Amino acid sequence: MNSRNLSKDGETCIHGTCLDMCPPEEMNLRIREKLVHILEVTTEGYKLVKCYSRSAADSNMAIPSNLRPFPTLMTTTQYLLLNVSKRKDVKMSVIYNFLDDRLRSVRQDMTIQRLHPKECVKLLEPMIRFYNYYGYRLCEYPLKEYDPVLNKKYLLECIKWFLTCCDTLEETNIECMTDILKDLYLSKDNILSCDRPLVESLYVLCNLSDIHPLYRYLSLPNHLKRSKLKLAYEIAVANKLGNYVRVWRLAEQLCPLTFAALCLYLPTMQKRGLQVISTAYNSKQLKVPTKVIQQWLGFTSEDEVRVMCDYYGQMATDVVCFNKALFRSVAEVPQPKQHYMARISRLELEDIMFYTI
Amino acid sequence: MTSTGTLNQYIQTVERMYRLSEGDELARLISLRDSHVTNRNLRSSDIASLVEGNCVAPIDEIIICHLLCVKAVIEKDYLAAYSHQSQCVVSVVKVLMSQKDQNWCLPLMYTTCLDLRLVAQKAEATQPQSNGKILEKAAESLLSCFRVCCADNRTSDEDTKRHGMLYLANQLLKVYFRINKLHLCKPLIRAIDSSSLWYQFPLAQQITYRYFVGRKAMFDSEYQAANEYLSFAFENCHKKSHKNKRLILTYLVPVKMLLGYMPTKQLLEKYNLLQFWDLVSVVKNGDLRGIDSVMEKHEKFFISAGIYLIVEKLKITAYRNLFRKVFLVENTHQIDIASFQAALQVMGEKDVDSDETQCIVANLIYQGKIKGYISYQHKKVVVSKQTAFPPLSSM
Repeated sequence: MNSRNLSKDGETCIHGTCLDMCPPEEMNLRIREKLVHILEVTTEGYKLVKCYSRSAADSNMAIPSNLRPFPTLMTTTQYLLLNVSKRKDVKMSVIYNFLDDRLRSVRQDMTIQRLHPKECVKLLEPMIRFYNYYGYRLCEYPLKEYDPVLNKKYLLECIKWFLTCCDTLEETNIECMTDILKDLYLSKDNILSCDRPLVESLYVLCNLSDIHPLYRYLSLPNHLKRSKLKLAYEIAVANKLGNYVRVWRLAEQLCPLTFAALCLYLPTMQKRGLQVISTAYNSKQLKVPTKVIQQWLGFTSEDEVRVMCDYYGQMATDVVCFNKALFRSVAEVPQPKQHYMARISRLELEDIMFYTI
Repeated sequence: MTSTGTLNQYIQTVERMYRLSEGDELARLISLRDSHVTNRNLRSSDIASLVEGNCVAPIDEIIICHLLCVKAVIEKDYLAAYSHQSQCVVSVVKVLMSQKDQNWCLPLMYTTCLDLRLVAQKAEATQPQSNGKILEKAAESLLSCFRVCCADNRTSDEDTKRHGMLYLANQLLKVYFRINKLHLCKPLIRAIDSSSLWYQFPLAQQITYRYFVGRKAMFDSEYQAANEYLSFAFENCHKKSHKNKRLILTYLVPVKMLLGYMPTKQLLEKYNLLQFWDLVSVVKNGDLRGIDSVMEKHEKFFISAGIYLIVEKLKITAYRNLFRKVFLVENTHQIDIASFQAALQVMGEKDVDSDETQCIVANLIYQGKIKGYISYQHKKVVVSKQTAFPPLSSM
């Protein structure tokens, strides 16, 4: 059965014929014009990967010889995420920007060929891990080297695409879904895994200020709701109720990737937490130990507490003297920082590619 | 007459109503819900050639599409019926656009649009893999009508097609809620809310609109607005529309509860919504374990109505009620955090510690539901001498 003919509208789809990571046409052009990226120069010679290019009105994107079929896309993605990411001779942000571009071109090929959802999920899941991993690792980088807004945009694009595929698969054929899951969960060495509960969890935890991922969670079938995904839901509800103590206590059970997603939300939670505390503990005489604030709101150190209290207009030494009238609620939420408890800081991209929650 | 007459008689009647600008009669003759659809004489296999040349344009196209649709519906081929009906709407749009400064045709538009939605729903039900695609396409057709109506802003208030906007907006809202594409509602709502004709729209349409907009506000956690819209819908809904009133209450009751108004048992009994009564007593008593078990018991109902998260939020009200009881029992203005913590533990939150208790109290103070402050050093909550727990409905 040719899965690509399953396109619902009965329209024909284009099938790529390019079996290399980069179409020969582009390869020749880029070598001639000296447009080879440093990460495409390896000890084994040139290893070019197709670039992302915007679809313009005068360019024909749908040329089969320039499009890579699913198996090639799969090996390309694996090569990018497992081999290129190990390079140590360039800065992390350079690796990220290179991988981001080449993965976008993979997604572009997927779109043009309208790959079957079964194939899409396999390609998208590792990309979701990728965006999540670097979204955390690069969070302290300056804007000119790393753009968190774009990272979030592509991350959500991949997550939503992945989840839509899961919904389609679930509706068309329950059995076929369990088949995929069966061969995906048994991830062995160097075969990328496909973990739906993880992606569903990330969808909730990357959107903690939005209520709609929770509606989605509630509509999911029970076998998913009973999975590890429940933890993400409980954290989101605790956050909705303003219960920062419980959020932080539950966070201890998160896996490296989901914990990293929560860390990126932390500055928002800390701002709201400090605002609540500055009202509830508002007093001229009474004080709260800085250490306690650190524990409640997941700050990395007492110094960080002092800096943030100062930022929001509160007096802090070893103790914080809260004053609700002085709280600067107009102050913008600061950029997230690496957290000492995040295991992901000590892991390579490869380490977070294979585990399932 | 039309349920037995010949095809030619039918065509002549339609033509006459068209010439006389009898919008309502014309609409009835093009409706899928009228007795003429049972007339076998109208079901020829070659309708197009029979009608063509026998009838004035542009009404001929509408008749052809309509009768083809009738045939498909009777043969239960809903996908074909949908495509004929959507062609029919295209023809109606053409008619509307050609008629400047008049709006007598609006009833025809209402009927064909309503039928389109109903047929699309039927088609959707027979095509499970469509996953809302057919209804989405139907919404596009409805939008093309909506645009024609919106754009008619140079005609006098009496003759403008803008009178048709609300009817279409309601049809579109129904579709968007069904296919769960609530983000598409925004431009519609903006168009209606900025319309100067609001008070001239029929009350029934206003009610439907307020019902959907209220539900949308509820999903977006704008509870005050939701309360206003849904209350309008409930108060103005005809008292004999029991089913509709029940639907409105399904959303209005939890929103009201969140704002501090508890429903009476009598009301809930009348509308068969006693699921909420279980909730009322546990929230009133601050019985957190009870809330969990009510949520589990009625999980299906709460989730399918989309109010599960609101019920989750009612826990805050339950905390407040529980702490108020502690305050009344202790009869002092300085209450130990430990007393609140013990109360939480007795009520089912077993793993709660002093820190989390303080956090819950802090949030209540922040929201103004408790008047007072916390002393970390003394582990005490000091509450105001006057109205330490102001009534929720006063906020």
